[in-house]
Amino acid sequence: MYIAFWFISIITVIGALLAVVLRNVVHCVLSLILFFLGIAAHYFLLRADFIGAVQILIYVGAVAVLILFAIMLTRNVTGGEGPREILGGTWWTGTITAALIAAILCWAVSVDRVAGVAPAGAQAKSSVLLIGRILIADWVVPFEAMAVLLTAALIGAVVIALEEVMRRR
Amino acid sequence: MTIPLGHYLMLSGLLFAIGLGGALTRKNAIIVLIGIEIMFNAGILNLIAFWHYNHFAVLTAQMFAIFAISIAAAESAIGLALVIAVYRYYKSVDVDEMKSLKG
Repeated sequence: MYIAFWFISIITVIGALLAVVLRNVVHCVLSLILFFLGIAAHYFLLRADFIGAVQILIYVGAVAVLILFAIMLTRNVTGGEGPREILGGTWWTGTITAALIAAILCWAVSVDRVAGVAPAGAQAKSSVLLIGRILIADWVVPFEAMAVLLTAALIGAVVIALEEVMRRR
Repeated sequence: MTIPLGHYLMLSGLLFAIGLGGALTRKNAIIVLIGIEIMFNAGILNLIAFWHYNHFAVLTAQMFAIFAISIAAAESAIGLALVIAVYRYYKSVDVDEMKSLKG
């Protein structure tokens, strides 16, 4: 358990780091897929197996492919040569902010502060059957609202991306 | 031997900071979106870790995670559509060049 946690954590952190520091954008997306798979493995380790499956389906299956398509449609993939070509003008303030946030978060959640009760051998009630049942019983209103939101997002994305074609008519 | 909750919280804090750094420092708008996705995932990992350690019997946190994942998917679709629209206008996805509104 412990070894699995550290192994998956290291893979996840490396994937996240490479996804934001690599020069080639396609390589960044491939590292992002590694990161998503690491997060899904963490969900499986935490016995949230349905969320892990959803993570793989939505993030690896849909979001990563969507990002790859956006890269193909915007074409200037490789960026430039030096670090000045890939970093924005205010990169040092961004770095300082991120380092500060990391330090503050790690200080705030340092181990002796947070006491989590490990589940005392409780049987995992995370079966897909139970999730499906409460999704259409207790959570039906948010579920339908989410359906409306996803439809609106789909139509909105198409309208935004096809702006020029619509103007021409 | 169980893993303390603090390990998960520290991991997700670290991932959040990595995503924030990527979103704040990079020039390419697609990498900025990738950083935002990393931050989303760090938050959802936090949610699932708290569920596992404190409220294992009820599935509310898993519902929250499912809805958060759906909202993140909608957000990334809209964000990438915006990137494509901006690319069509500026012929570039460089966030430093999008300064038409600057006084």
